[in-house]
This record gives sequence, structure tokens and C-alpha cells, in this order.
Amino acid sequence: MAEEAIKLGGKRKSVFIDKVKKLLPEGGNLNLCLTCGTCSAGCPATGLEGMDPRKFLRMAALGLDEEVINTPWIWMCTMCYRCVYACPMKIDIPALVYAARASWPREKRPKGLVGSCDMALRNMSHSAMGTPPEDFTFVVEDVLEEYRETQPEFKDMEAPIDKKGAHFFLNQNSREPVTEPDEMVPLWKILHIVGADWTYASKGWAAENYCMFLADDDSWKKIIETSVDAAKELGCKVFLNTE
Amino acid sequence: MESIEGDAGNFTVTVRERPRYVDMDKCIACGICAERCPRKVKDEYNQGLAKRKAIYVQYPQAVPLKYVIDADHCIYFKKKGRCRACEKYCPADAIDFTQKEKIHKIQVGSVVLSTGFKSFDPSGYDVFGYGSLPNVITSMEFERILSASGPFQGHLQRPSDDKPPQKIAWLQCVGSRDLHAGCHEYCSSVCCMYAIKEAVIAKEHAGGDLDTAIFFMDMRTPGKEFDKYYDRARDEVGVRFIRSRVHSIELAGHGSDDLRIIYMSEDGKLKKEIFNLVVLSTGLEISEDVRKLAQDLGIELDLHGFAKTSSFTPVATSRPGVFACGAFTGPKDIPQSVMEASAASSACAVLLADSRNTLTQEKTYPSEDPIIYEEPRIGVFVCHCGINIGGVVDVPAVRDYAETLPNVVYVADNMFTCSQDTQGLIRDAVKENRLNRVVVAACTPRTHEPLFQETIRDGGLNPYLFEFANIRDQDAWVHQKEPEKATEKAKDLVRMSVAKAALLEPIEPLLLGNRHEAMVVGGGAAGMIAALDLADQGLKTFIVEQKGKLGGNAKYVRKTWKGEDGRAFLADLIGRVQGHKQIEVLLDTKISHVSGFVGNFTTTVTTGSAEQELEHGIIILAVGAKPLKPDEYLYGQNERVMRWHELEELFEKEPERLEQAEAVAFIQCVGSREPERPYCSKFCCTSSLQQAIDFKTRKPDLNIYILYRDIRTYGQREELYRKARELGVIFIRYSLDKKPVVEETSVDGKDKLKITVKDHILGIPLELHVDYLNLATAIIARGEEELAKMLKVPLNEDGFFLEAHMKLRPVDFATDGIFVCGLAHYPKPLEESIVQAKAAAARAASVLIKESVEVEPTVSVVDQEKCIGCGLCEASCPFGAIHLVKVPGRGYRAENISALCKGCGICAAACPQKAIDMKHFRDRQIHAMIEAGGRR
Repeated sequence: MAEEAIKLGGKRKSVFIDKVKKLLPEGGNLNLCLTCGTCSAGCPATGLEGMDPRKFLRMAALGLDEEVINTPWIWMCTMCYRCVYACPMKIDIPALVYAARASWPREKRPKGLVGSCDMALRNMSHSAMGTPPEDFTFVVEDVLEEYRETQPEFKDMEAPIDKKGAHFFLNQNSREPVTEPDEMVPLWKILHIVGADWTYASKGWAAENYCMFLADDDSWKKIIETSVDAAKELGCKVFLNTE
Repeated sequence: MESIEGDAGNFTVTVRERPRYVDMDKCIACGICAERCPRKVKDEYNQGLAKRKAIYVQYPQAVPLKYVIDADHCIYFKKKGRCRACEKYCPADAIDFTQKEKIHKIQVGSVVLSTGFKSFDPSGYDVFGYGSLPNVITSMEFERILSASGPFQGHLQRPSDDKPPQKIAWLQCVGSRDLHAGCHEYCSSVCCMYAIKEAVIAKEHAGGDLDTAIFFMDMRTPGKEFDKYYDRARDEVGVRFIRSRVHSIELAGHGSDDLRIIYMSEDGKLKKEIFNLVVLSTGLEISEDVRKLAQDLGIELDLHGFAKTSSFTPVATSRPGVFACGAFTGPKDIPQSVMEASAASSACAVLLADSRNTLTQEKTYPSEDPIIYEEPRIGVFVCHCGINIGGVVDVPAVRDYAETLPNVVYVADNMFTCSQDTQGLIRDAVKENRLNRVVVAACTPRTHEPLFQETIRDGGLNPYLFEFANIRDQDAWVHQKEPEKATEKAKDLVRMSVAKAALLEPIEPLLLGNRHEAMVVGGGAAGMIAALDLADQGLKTFIVEQKGKLGGNAKYVRKTWKGEDGRAFLADLIGRVQGHKQIEVLLDTKISHVSGFVGNFTTTVTTGSAEQELEHGIIILAVGAKPLKPDEYLYGQNERVMRWHELEELFEKEPERLEQAEAVAFIQCVGSREPERPYCSKFCCTSSLQQAIDFKTRKPDLNIYILYRDIRTYGQREELYRKARELGVIFIRYSLDKKPVVEETSVDGKDKLKITVKDHILGIPLELHVDYLNLATAIIARGEEELAKMLKVPLNEDGFFLEAHMKLRPVDFATDGIFVCGLAHYPKPLEESIVQAKAAAARAASVLIKESVEVEPTVSVVDQEKCIGCGLCEASCPFGAIHLVKVPGRGYRAENISALCKGCGICAAACPQKAIDMKHFRDRQIHAMIEAGGRR
């Protein structure tokens, strides 16, 4: 950002922050900032790219739309909501960040996010690793069998997929079935010991959603819909989001 | 209080009195019961940091100082009939387990609700870790830690390990200015000041090494002398002020009780600091109990639970005849609460003026026979005070010793000399033995001298023939471990008192005739309100106004911050004043001379060339103040630069100006909070925000910039700050060393102003092009040095009238009969001026309604034979109670003005001729005591 003076005061134009406010309940309280710094003190992305949430919101409030939209910092926000949680005015800064992301042409957005989102859309697993449903099913059954055999105390353990009428619908981070399949097991064991009635689904089982981080609303929605439909179809009562 | 039935002027109030299980008439507060009580209970007064017993007094200063049994914890009540230790050991037989709850029906004309506040409980606010981190405490807990009567006897230590902390942090706005569930949107008004006070006192307690840091958003110290305190704390005491709100508090590390705070510095850098103790500056709120009470009584509350009041009738609740004061109507500090208390009493007095004195009974005394005073016949009564004195001092020995002293003709010892039956015994002894002087050797004259004076008066003696020997507070209590020496000292004290008693003289009461008229100086809102409250009680009141019309600064208030119509209020007020048959308004009138004293003032006033004298009993100063005309920011040079109400008046007269404007700016603190004028003008933030909201509502696409140093919308005014931000007003904070720069400029051929100011977050300059600039300039005193001198009342460094005591006597002066209210006292918003005006009226009425003023007759007397007229006494008297008068043929001689004299004795000490003596404390009386003291 240039160090020269910022000129303000001309005829009021429609600015970015006003557009975002219209999209949010209570306008996301975006105008209410007390510039107290609570958000920035708790933000893991503070200081990156010379930016922090307070500065970002201040620039938006002063109508510095170009700087607000173009800062690469917006892609460093983890959407953790620590800022909103502690903000005395409960200002929805992540929503502003999200809107800034959404204003970028898709192809200009960070390659890693675009690639992961695109990969998820390749099949009905919606896994960022691209794992198709049949591969997921195979890995789960294979790992389960191994543990039943080698650990007799878990010989009755189950890891059902598409079990109709199960109480819990469980999703699963995509990385584990591919790179660290054993990492899935501890949770299965817990569920087994407490006697939970649960299931994975073969469709929409992937828990992560890079399309959301990419601010690709349509694809985000599509992925969510697949999971929700799967849970409904199986008649599950509770959706357990593990991500 | 259970219910209020009936109407204003005629209420029946139902009150439920819980049993105390202690007979109030018998309890002497010796504390033996609590010592013996085996049941320990968490001490609420010490915020749970200490224990008390099941029989206790809530705190050492409790009035009345009487014990109470907490039946929820008492063993007798828990295990029916067991224990009874207190009953067994009580020396006064005061325990009464049979007491029952009582319902009282009380007939009253009005009710005042002063139910106070509850401190916000931060337990549910997880980011600060209160409840889970032992060294995160509330400000109330810290108050107790600092207190000598607190859990650590005033030693500064922290809860986790009782170690003295080296670094303490205060976090402001905990539970206030916060939209989280359970928190409050309003500002709690008092926390900034109490946090500074706690930091300063903590540093005093700890010595030089303690580090204190206050984390805040806006420093809100708008009250009288508050900013000076803030400046001193920062610049002299070394309290650190960090403008940043803390995200969360975490343990500093495994096994440590220290706390880590990560915060964003003002210049945008992430900082980390370790503290040993963190104090949460919790806000004020209305408890559920009070909300329920209000509902039961039919009192309307606002959405925060405070009593709904109007700015124009700030102590009236929604129910006629029921008034409110203190934190029940909004968060506020002690001075404002005390003023509201007086204001509420004024409101009651006006309502009930017709029935004044209809229920009073006058006490009569037997007549005094002067002949009996000739030869001293002294009676000495020595008190055991249960075991308070008797357990240490050999009381019978002291009694027998007293009998050997000169002039003593009667002695007795009593278990409790203050008990009603002993009072009877004293009266009988006076009559039977023809006693004409009485000495009581007992607790302390501080609490009991008036009682014994009354007793001998009932026995037919002048009350000044009484002398007190303090053998409890100053003997038995301080020499508990040396009973023999304590007995000797008691004898010494009795001998001294007897020596003085022999020389005591009867002193006649000083009754001064009293005028019932009031003079109010100043015809603004404060002056008119004060005058009306007096006149409505039937007291004739003069309003003396310099200008040609009534109204003062109130005429600029188009709307109050709550949105009420200021002009309609003022028009109505002026109408009521002008139509009132007890008010005489003197316009274009100046005061040229004032003489006299409380109850008897004579003031010379000049209207044009005509002069007249007004006779009146009191004076209320309501002379107002005025806004500064600044010589900066192009004021007076460019017509687009205005101040206070000028911009809204322009937009009212020429609405097209607002239509055509693209941007408007306000600059706050113009001339306030600067080295030359180090005080805050208190209501400028509120005023600018009100205008900004008004403009923005009428023209939403108008750019508005408010350049400020701290936004000080204290109390419920915070709502305006939130609303202004919501509407898109941009707030830019500047500092005193980098003030905004205003220049003339033109944009596209249109004349504009260019304001250059650094953005406080981005750290880069902003250039604001605006059509108009409005300056919130300092409210300054009118320059009333002459009037102050005439009345012998002081002004503070800033030229505002200086009251007798900031907190306890906020509308009085040390000089009786003169009161102050409104802007003359300090800048304040209209509703606070009205409160103060009513308070001044209440204080004034308490003088005016009396037929005569009874003055303490222990005043100075001048021996004019010895006096050389040097005038040292007049110069040294702080009350203007002694002055030189011309005595024909002898030059000047000093004369005492008894009505003003407080009996302090400074004049007597100053007199080089020993021509002045103090009644009841004459040199020879005191010499006799001293001589007797050395005679052992």
C-alpha cells in the first residue's frame, strides 16, 4: 500500500464493505469496530503480508477497496473465527475475508486450493485426494479386517459403510485412508467400546471442503449437499463432523 | 419491601423485616459472640476470600454496629437447639432466638428507591479464565485485597501462593461495551477511575517496584478533577496505560501460576507480556432481585434493567411519588449518586410540602437553675462496657479513686452506662446529690457524648457541664496486655476530666433568627430548576440574572441525548418560573455587594441604574459557563468552521446546505485536555455524536468524520456511539502531539476544507475534504473571581466553583448557606445540571424551613480589652467567622460572627495577644487538665 495520503470525503460511492454488509445477518456488525485490537491479538495470521484483521477491517471501512480485495493476506485466514469469538462487537471479519476471496477470478485464486477443490469434484466421494468411493470402501474393509485379526479384543469391531438406519453419520478426512490408514482406527475403537451405532457413507464421506476455503460457493454447496443427502438416505439421526 | 399501595402523597408500604436474633437495644457490638461462635462461613463482603462466623457484622463500618445471626448457617437453627455459644457468652444478654419475621405497614407520602448495583460476574466469560485461573480476579476482589480490613490485612498478595505480585494488569470493559451474551452494551462509567485508583494504591502499598498496566479502549475520566488524576497516575506515579483490548489470558507455562497476555500495540505490533496477577475491571449491573422488585412495585425499567427516567425529571420513576437515585437509574460514581440522593429528597419535599412538620414532636427539657452551678459538685460514672473495659481495667478501683478527687461528691460504676436504665440512674443521682457537673469514664465521646449531654439536660443541667474520659478506645482496647498500667491510665484520664469539669461553664444555645427567602444567581436551567423546587415548597425565591432573558445555555439543547425535546422543556420551564407567585425574576441585574451569613444575607443588586437590597437566608450559585472561542483550526477565519451548535443551527436555517454537503467533520477536545486546560468538558462527545447521528439519518450518503482522542460516551450514552458507528460515521483518533491540520482548499471549483490527520490504525495520513468542520470546544468558566471573593467561596484552578467535598458534599461550600449547581461547578450535560440544581435546592431548603438556625455554641470569644486589632485572626480564619470592626475611639477590634464559627480554634492559636478564647475549650480548662495529668 502506498504511503501517500489517502484522500477521503468526495461523493459517497457504493463500497465493498457495504455490499458485504447486505449479505450478512445484522450486516455482520461490520461497521461496529472499536479498533481495540482484540481480533488481531488472537489471529494466527496477524503480521503476515504486513496485515492483520483490524487493519483489514479498517481499510474496508475507509473504502480502500482495491487494497482490501487484492491483498494476498485474505488467503492466509484460516477461518478459525477466533477473532469473532472474542470481539466485543462480534464483528464477522471472516465473512469479509470470504467476500474478498470470492471477488477474485477463480483461476487467479491460490493453485493449491483450486486443485484440491477441483479434485473433490471429480467423483462422488468429494475427497480432496480424488479417492473414488470404491477405493475408500476397500481401504476401510481391509484395515478393519487386519485389526480384527491382530487384536482379538476388537474382533467384533465394525466400520460400516452405507449402513441403513445407523444413529450416527460419520465423515472422514480424506488424507488418512490414502496416506495413514491406521489413523482411522482409534476413533473406530472408541465408537466400538461405547457401543455407538454409526456408519460411513460411500458418497460424500470426505470431511474437508476446500471449495469453501476457495470461496467457490456452488462447489461448496454441491459437496455439502452430497453428504447431507447421503445421511438422509441412510436415515441417520446425527451428523458427526470430524473435521 | 414487598409492595407499595395507594397514590403519591398517601402510600401504604409493606415491609418484611427478617429476624436478626439479636436484640438491637442490648447488643454493644463487643464481638465476643463472633469470637465464640464455632461456625465458619464464606465472607461475602470479602468476596469469598476470607471467612466470617455465623454471627457477624457485615463490615466494620456497618451502621448500626449490631451483630446478626445468619440462620442459614447457625448451628442452633440447623440442628435444632444445639450450640447456643453466643447466647452463653454474650455479656449483654442480647441473643434472642425467639425473634420472628415481622411485617410492617408504613404510611408514607413518597418512596425513594436507591437499590444500587451488582458487580458483573465474569465466570461465564471463558477467554479471561476467571474461575479457572486462580490469579485472575475481579476488581471487587482486588478492592478487598487492598483493604486493611480485607482478607490479607491490606498486604498486597495474590490468591494462588500468597506471594506479592511484581506485575499486575487491569483489563477494562469486562462485561461492559460488549455484545456477548450476558454482557452489557452500556459503559459502566466508573471502571476507568477505579482501575487507576487501584493501580495507584497498589503501587503505594508495594513501594517502587510494582509494575502496573491498564489495558483499555477509551480512557473515560470525564468527571471533575478526573483527568488530572489520570495524568498524575501516568506521568508521576508511573502506571502504564496500554490502549488495547486483550483477546485471551493463558497460563504462562506448565507449573506456573503467572499469566500470559498477548496484545496488539497501538502501532499494530503483536506484544507478549507475563503478569503475576490480572484484575478484571468488571462493570455494574442491575440484579435480578431489583428487577423483580421494580416489577412488583410497578416501576418501568429500560432494556438494561435501569429505572426509566426522563432527562428533565432525572429522579422521578414512572410511578408518581416514587423516586430513584444512584446506580438504579444508570451506572454512576459517588459524587453523582450523592447529588441524585439530595435531588430525590428535594422531589419528596416538593411533593409533601403541605404536610411538612405535621408529624414532628418537639422535645421539652426541665428549666435550668443557674444557682446550682456555683460550687462544683461533680458526679463520676465509670463504665465496665461489659468486659470491654471491665476485663482489662479495674473499674471499682477507678471508681474508688475518683471519690478521692477534689469536688467529687458522687461516684458509681455501671455495667453499661449507655443503657436506658443507667440513664435514669444518672438523672436521679444528679437530683438527689445536687450534682452540677458530670463525668462519664467510658467508650468514646465520638459516638456517646451527645447521649450523655442529653441525659444531664433531662436532669436539669446545661449540656456543656458534661465531660468524657475515654477509657475504652484509648485505654482498655490499646493496653489489653497490661491491665495494671491500663488501670493507672484510666485513673489519670478520670483525674484530668474531673479537673476540667470543675471549670466548665454553662453555655447558652446559639439561636439565630432565620430568613426564609432564597437568592439564586443565574437564570439558566439549573438556576430555574433550583428556584422552582424552593418556590414549590412555598419559599420565596429571587432569581438574579445578568442577561436580559432566562434560559442560559439550555436554549442550545434542541434535543437531549435520549431524544427529548429540549426547547419545549425550556419554554415550559421559563413559563413556570415567570408564572410562579413565589419567584421574583430580576433580569439585567448584577450583584454589587453581599454581606451577612447563613440565614441572614443582605445582597445589593443593581438593575440598570437602580439599586436595591435583597434579604435572604441562602444563596445558590448557578452562574453557568461558556464555550471557548478557539484560535485554531481556522475558527473565525473561515465560515465553514463552526463550533458546538452552530452547524446544526445552520442546517436548520438553510436545509439546502446539508443537502449539498458531501462531507462533514467534527474535531473533539478543542481546548480541553490540554496543558493549559487539563480537564475534560464531559458532554462534547455526546453532543457531536448526537449531531452526527442526526445528519447521517437525514442524509445517509453524507460522509462524517469524527476526530477524537477518547470517546467518552459514559453510561447509557454508549448507545449513541454504537449507533453512530452503525450508520457509518468514521472515527479517527488523533493524539495531542499530532493534531489535525485544517486548510482551505477547493475541489472541482467548490470551496472545501482539507483536514490532514494520521489514521490511528493504518499509520498513514488521511486527507479529508469536507464542506464543514464543527469544533467541540472546551466549556470554560465565566471568570467569577469577584463573586467568589465577595462570598468567600473558592474556585478551582480552572475557575469553576470548588465544593466543600467532591464526594460527600458536592453542592455545598465550607461556608454555610451557599450552594452551587450546574455548569458553574463543572461542565456537565443538562440532566446532570438538573440533578445538581435539585440537590442544591434540597440542601438550601433544609436551612430555609427552620424558624431559627441553631448553631454549635462552642465558638471563639474575643476579649476586646486585650485585642490590638492586628487582623491575624481574620486572615487565618477559613470560614470568614471573625473580622475587624471599628470601635469608636479605639481603632479596630476583632469580633466573632458566631453563626459562621466552627470552633476550630485557629484564631485563638494565631492571636499574639491571647485575646481569643474558645468556649468549652478555654485555655484555663485545658491547662487544668494538663496540670492534673502530670500530677499522678
